[in-house]
Amino acid sequence: MRIEDFSTFNQVKESGLARLQPARPRLAVGMGTCGSGNGAERVYLALREQIDQRGVDADLRRTGCFGFCAQEPLVNVWIPGRPLVILKRVDPRDVPRILDALLNDDVPRDLALCRIEDWDHITSRLQYGRGWNDIPLWNEVPFFKGQKKLVLRDCGIIDPEEIEEYIAIGGYQALYKVLIDANPDAVIEQLKASKLRGRGGAGYLTGTKWEFLKRAAADRKYIICNADEGDPGAYMNRNEIESDPHALIEGMAIGGYVMGAAEGILYVRAEYPLAVRRLHRAIEQAREYGLLGRNILGRGFDFDLHLVEGAGAFVCGEETALIASLEGRAGRPRPRPPFPAQQGLWGKPTNINNVETWYNVPVIVLRGPAWFSEIGSPKSAGTKVFSLVGKVRNTGLVEMPLGTPLKTFVYDVGEGTGNGKAVKAVQTGGPSGGCIPQEMFDTPVDYESLAQIGSIMGSGGMVVMDEDNCMVDVARYFIEFTHSESCGKCVPCRVGLEHALRILNNVSQGAAATTDLEMLDELGRMIRDTSLCGLGQTAPNPVLTTLRHFMEEYTDHIRGHRCPAGVCEHLALSPCENSCPLHMNIPRFLQLLKEERLEDAFESVILDNPLPASTGRVCQHPCDNRCRRVSLDQAVNMRDVHRHIADSILFSDGFDAMAERLVARRLEPTGKRAAVVGAGPTGLTCAFYLALLGHDVTVYDSNPLPGGMLRYALPEYRLPKQVLDREVELIRRLGVNFVGNVRVGDDLSLNQLDDQFDSVFISIGTWKEAWVYLAGTELKGVIPALPFLEAVARDSHVALGRRVIVIGGGNAAIDSARTALRMGSEVTVVYRRERRDMPAIPEEIAAAEAEGVRFVFLAAPHRILGDPQGNVKAIEVVKTELGEFDRSGRRTPILTDEIYRFECDSVVLAVGERVDLDFAKASGLKIKESGTIEIDRYTMETSRRKFYAGGDVVTGASNVSNAMAYGKQAAAVIDQFLTGERRFDRIFRAFNYSKLPPEPVDTPRHHLAELPPQARVRGFEEVMLGLSRADAVAETHRCLRCDIKEVSPV
Amino acid sequence: MDRVNLKINGQPIQARAGQSLLAVARDNGIDIPTLCHLDGLSGVGACRLCLVEVAGVGRLLPACTTPVQHDMDVRTDSPRLARYRRMILELLFSERNHVCAVCVSNGHCDLQAMAQSQGMTHVRFPYLYPPLKVDASHRRYVLDHNRCILCTRCVRVCAEVEGAHMWDVMSRGVHSRLVAELNQPWGDSQVCTSCGKCVAVCPTGALAEKGRAVGEMQKPPLHLTDLALLRGGLS
Repeated sequence: MRIEDFSTFNQVKESGLARLQPARPRLAVGMGTCGSGNGAERVYLALREQIDQRGVDADLRRTGCFGFCAQEPLVNVWIPGRPLVILKRVDPRDVPRILDALLNDDVPRDLALCRIEDWDHITSRLQYGRGWNDIPLWNEVPFFKGQKKLVLRDCGIIDPEEIEEYIAIGGYQALYKVLIDANPDAVIEQLKASKLRGRGGAGYLTGTKWEFLKRAAADRKYIICNADEGDPGAYMNRNEIESDPHALIEGMAIGGYVMGAAEGILYVRAEYPLAVRRLHRAIEQAREYGLLGRNILGRGFDFDLHLVEGAGAFVCGEETALIASLEGRAGRPRPRPPFPAQQGLWGKPTNINNVETWYNVPVIVLRGPAWFSEIGSPKSAGTKVFSLVGKVRNTGLVEMPLGTPLKTFVYDVGEGTGNGKAVKAVQTGGPSGGCIPQEMFDTPVDYESLAQIGSIMGSGGMVVMDEDNCMVDVARYFIEFTHSESCGKCVPCRVGLEHALRILNNVSQGAAATTDLEMLDELGRMIRDTSLCGLGQTAPNPVLTTLRHFMEEYTDHIRGHRCPAGVCEHLALSPCENSCPLHMNIPRFLQLLKEERLEDAFESVILDNPLPASTGRVCQHPCDNRCRRVSLDQAVNMRDVHRHIADSILFSDGFDAMAERLVARRLEPTGKRAAVVGAGPTGLTCAFYLALLGHDVTVYDSNPLPGGMLRYALPEYRLPKQVLDREVELIRRLGVNFVGNVRVGDDLSLNQLDDQFDSVFISIGTWKEAWVYLAGTELKGVIPALPFLEAVARDSHVALGRRVIVIGGGNAAIDSARTALRMGSEVTVVYRRERRDMPAIPEEIAAAEAEGVRFVFLAAPHRILGDPQGNVKAIEVVKTELGEFDRSGRRTPILTDEIYRFECDSVVLAVGERVDLDFAKASGLKIKESGTIEIDRYTMETSRRKFYAGGDVVTGASNVSNAMAYGKQAAAVIDQFLTGERRFDRIFRAFNYSKLPPEPVDTPRHHLAELPPQARVRGFEEVMLGLSRADAVAETHRCLRCDIKEVSPV
Repeated sequence: MDRVNLKINGQPIQARAGQSLLAVARDNGIDIPTLCHLDGLSGVGACRLCLVEVAGVGRLLPACTTPVQHDMDVRTDSPRLARYRRMILELLFSERNHVCAVCVSNGHCDLQAMAQSQGMTHVRFPYLYPPLKVDASHRRYVLDHNRCILCTRCVRVCAEVEGAHMWDVMSRGVHSRLVAELNQPWGDSQVCTSCGKCVAVCPTGALAEKGRAVGEMQKPPLHLTDLALLRGGLS
C-alpha cells in the first residue's frame, strides 16, 4: 500500500500495531545471525510445527536480537494483558512446556530472563501488561542495568521484515515531519545542537559534516552508509541492520532530503548475508509503501537507495578507500583534501556516515536536540553500542550513554570474569584500539578520554582480558591483522607493520632482545604519526599501549624466556609446566612412572624440585587450574603423583642408592664458597642446586633445624616432619653444611659473610606478624598465627581455652584453626570476604569444615573485649558488604554499621606476615617501600655486589613453590657469577621416554584417601594418605601429553 | 588570482591559492624531500617523506597534497621529522633488495641520493629479501621488482600522461607488486606504447633500459610539466 497522506499512514500504523500487539498471544524468536547460530532456527521450526499441530491460537514471528548473546536463543512471549516476557536459552525441547504454559496463561519461570511492562521505542511507547513480579524487569537484570536503548530501540521487539511493525512504533514519522516542515537547514541546526558525532569512530560532528554536503554546489550528490564493519569481535552494525533495517533507511532518506542527494548507497560487508537480505527486503517494502523512490510520502521528494556488497577488505571502511571500491577501483585510500564532501563518489560531493550515526537521526528529529544531548557526556552526546566480548560472564551488545566509566561495562554489565580470575585489561576500538589496564578502569568511555590514554572508540569493540591472556600475544595478534589488511600504499604502514610483526613474533618466541622493544616503540610512534590513513595511524595502538602498561610481560618473554599466561607456545612445554613456579617437567615424570621407571621418575622430579614430598603435600598446585583435561572431566592429579613418586623412594631401601646417584651428578668441585641465609624452602632449593653445581655451600638459620616454615609453621598433620627430614638428608648428602641457631645480623654480620664467602643468598622468611590495629590486641589470649603454630611445632605449651576465634582467610588461618581444633578447642574462623575469595587452598578449607571448624564470612574484627584480669572474653565483629572489584579480581569488603559479638577465650590473628628486615637495613641493602629487599627481577641481584636475595624476603608472604622458584633461579645466576659460565643446564640429564600421544582413558581423577574427620581431630597424625602405586600409575594414564606438539612419522 | 600569506620555517611567504605546500616551498628555495611526487603527476602521498609540521595541527601533513592556507605556520624540518624520514628510508631499504653496488642506477638513483641527503647511514631493520623476479620480456626495457619502492610514478605517468594505463599495483600490504596490465609479462602487453616515460620517471633502477651495466642507467630528462600543461592536466 502506497502511503501518500496521513490517513493511509495511520491506517498502516494501525495494521502494524495489530501485528505487534494482536488479540491473541504473540511469540517472537530472536533470529539475528547470533540467535540463529545458537539454534534459534530449530526453536522457530519446533514452535511452528507444534503450534500448528496443537492448533494453538497464537502468532509466531521472527524478530531481531535483544543483545544478550550469552543467553541466546531468546524467545519473546506476549499474552494479551500480560507483560512481554523474554525467555532465555530456549531449546527445541522446551517448546512443549512453553506452549503448555501459554495455554494456561503463563510462562515457564525457569526460562524467563526478564519481563517488559512498557517499552520505550523512543519514537513512541508501547504498553504491555503488568504483573508477574517474580520475573525481573528487563532493566533489573545486571546485563541491562544502566543500558539506554536508543539505537537498539526496536531490536529484538519488532519483526525486521515487516515495515508495518516499524511504522507502528513511530517509524518514518521523523521522515514525514522533515518532509512536511520542508526546512533542511533547521534539521542541520538540530543535528549540530544535538552534538551527535560520527559513530564510525573518528567522532566528527555529524551536523557540520551534513552542512558541508548541503552547501556543496553540484548537479548530483551522494550519501553513503558505511556498513563495512570489519573489526574482529565487533558486530553491532550487523545486529542493528538485521534487527531494524527500516530505521537505517529512514535516517538515510532524511539525510538525502536535507543534504540534497537523490541517491544513497549502502556499502555492506558481503560476509553479512542476513543483513544484506533483510536490507534488500526492507528497501523493496519501503519502495512499495512509497517511502523510497519518486514522490516520497506524496511530498514531491525523490530518493532511492542501492545496496553494494563490499568484497571484504578491512581498509574499505576508510571513506576514500570505500569510494574507490564503489567506483570499481582497488580499495586504497587517498590523501584528503579533497574531502568527499568536495569530491567524492564519481567526483561528486558525497557524505559518508556509519550505520549507527544514521540510526540516531530519526530520534533527534522527533525528540529534539535538547533531549538527545542530555544523554551522555558534555562533549560526547548520546549513546554508543558496544560489543562486549572476551573474559566476561555476560557477553553481548551493550548500549550505554557515552561517558560511562569502563568499570561499569566490565563489572556491572559484564559481571566480571565469572571464573574468579582477575580482569587484566580491556581492549577498545577493534584491532587498532589500545589495551587499557585495570588501574585505568575509571576512564569514561568517550572519544576524548579514550584518545587521551592511547586508545580509540573505534566502532565499539570491547574485548575483556584476564590473567590467561598474554598481552604480547594480544599485540601480536592485532598487528598480524592490520599487517595483513594494510593496503600497501604508504611506506610506514606497508613495511613498518611487517617489521613490527617480526619483532613481536620474536618476542613471543623468546628470541628478541630488550633493545628490540625500544625499536618497536620508536617504530610504532613513527607508523602512527606518518601513515596515510586511519588504518596505519591507529594500527600501532595495541603495541604502544601494551608496551606502556604491560612492559613486565614483554621483559618476562625476553629476559625470563617465560610467557606467564602460558599463551606463547614456543615458551612453554605444556600448560602445567608453564604454570608451575618450578617449571617441573610434569608430563615427563608422569610418563616415566607410567613406564614403571620409578627411579627415573624420582630423578626427574627431584632435579626439578628438591622438596618433592613436601610440595607434594602443601603446594597450591596451580597446575590443576591449567590442566587441559579439565575440558574432558577433571585435572590430572599431578601433585599427588609426584608426592607418591617422592615417598616411594624417600621411605624405601632405595634411598641410599638414589642419594649416591645424585651425588654422582655433582659437577667437579669449584672451590667457591656460597652462603645461604635462611634454611626455608627457598634456601634449601638454592643450596641443593649450588651443591650440585660443585660449590661449597653453607646454610645458616636462626632455628636449630633446617626447613623454615615447612618445619615451624606447617602443622604435623599436613606435613609430617619425618618427610622433611628425609628431604633435608638428601640435600645434606650432596655436601651442604647446615648451621643452626645463627641469626644473621646479630650473630653473624653481613660484612662477615662478605669476607668469608664468594656469594651470599638471602632467603629469610616472613616471620614478623602483620598487626591489625584493633582495640584489645594487648589482652592475654590474643596470639598471632605464626608464633602460635611455631610454638605448637616446638611442642611448647599454649593455653587456648575452650572457644577460639581465628581471624583471616589464608593458609595460616586454616592451619591455626585445625591445630586449635586438635588441641581440643571449638574454633570459629572469621573472614571479611566470601568463601570463594579465601586465599587458602580450597581442599584445606573443606577439610577444616569437615573437622568441625565453623566459618563466619563477611565479617571483619572490630574490637576484642577483655575481663578485668586482662584475659580475652569476647570479640566484636562488623558485618561487611562487598563493593567494587579490586586488582585481585575480588570485591573489596566494605564495613557496615552492623556489629555482632562472639564469646571466646582466645583470638588467633592470621592476617598476614611481613619480613623482619632490621638486619638488612643496617647492611646497606636497598629496601623497597613494601619492606622487602629490592632485587633485579631476572638476576636476583641486590644493591650489594655478591649478595642475592629471593623468596618471601623479596615478594612478601607467598607460598612454598613460588618461594622455591626463587631459590632455583638464584642458583643459576649465582653459579654464573661464581664461574663466569652458564653451567646450570649441565646438572640436568636427558630421559628417554615415549613421545607418542597416549591412548585415551576415561578414568576419573584419583583422590587421596584421608583419615575420617572424627579420627583425625584427636591428634596430629597426617590426614591425607598417599596414592597407592596402582592409583598413581592409573592417574598417569589420564595425562593428555600436551608436551607432544608434533609426531614425526615412523 | 587569490593570494595566500603563510610562513615556512619562519619565513613569510606569499603563494597562490590552491598551490600545494610542496610547490610553494620549492618556489621559495626550501627543499622538502620526496620520492613519490613528481611535478605534472597527481599527488598520492605514498612515500611520506614530505611530511611537515603545521602549527595548531596535531598530525603531520604531506606537503605534496596539502594546499596552502592563510596564516599557516609550517616547519619543514625538525629533529622528529628528520628521525622519521630516516626511518622511512630504512624501511624502504630493508623492504627489497637494494644493493647499490650491483645496480644499474648506482650513482643516479633518487633513493640512494635521498639516503645520503637525509643522513641515513645504516639500516637497523633486518633485510626482508623477498624472492622477486626480474621481468625482461620487453624488448627495450626491464623491470626489476627488487629495486621497486612502489612510488607509482610509472603507474601515474602511464595513465595520466601517456594515456595507456598499462601499469598498476596488485595485492596489498607488503605483498604489493607492480604489474603490467593484468599481471602479465611486460613484453606481452597490448597497450604498452614503449614510450619509455615510466623508465624515465622511475626513481631507482627498477625500470631501466636493457643493456646497461652497473651505474650506467642515467634517466633521460622528461619535462612532464610541459606535457601535462599541453594536455590541460596540471592545475
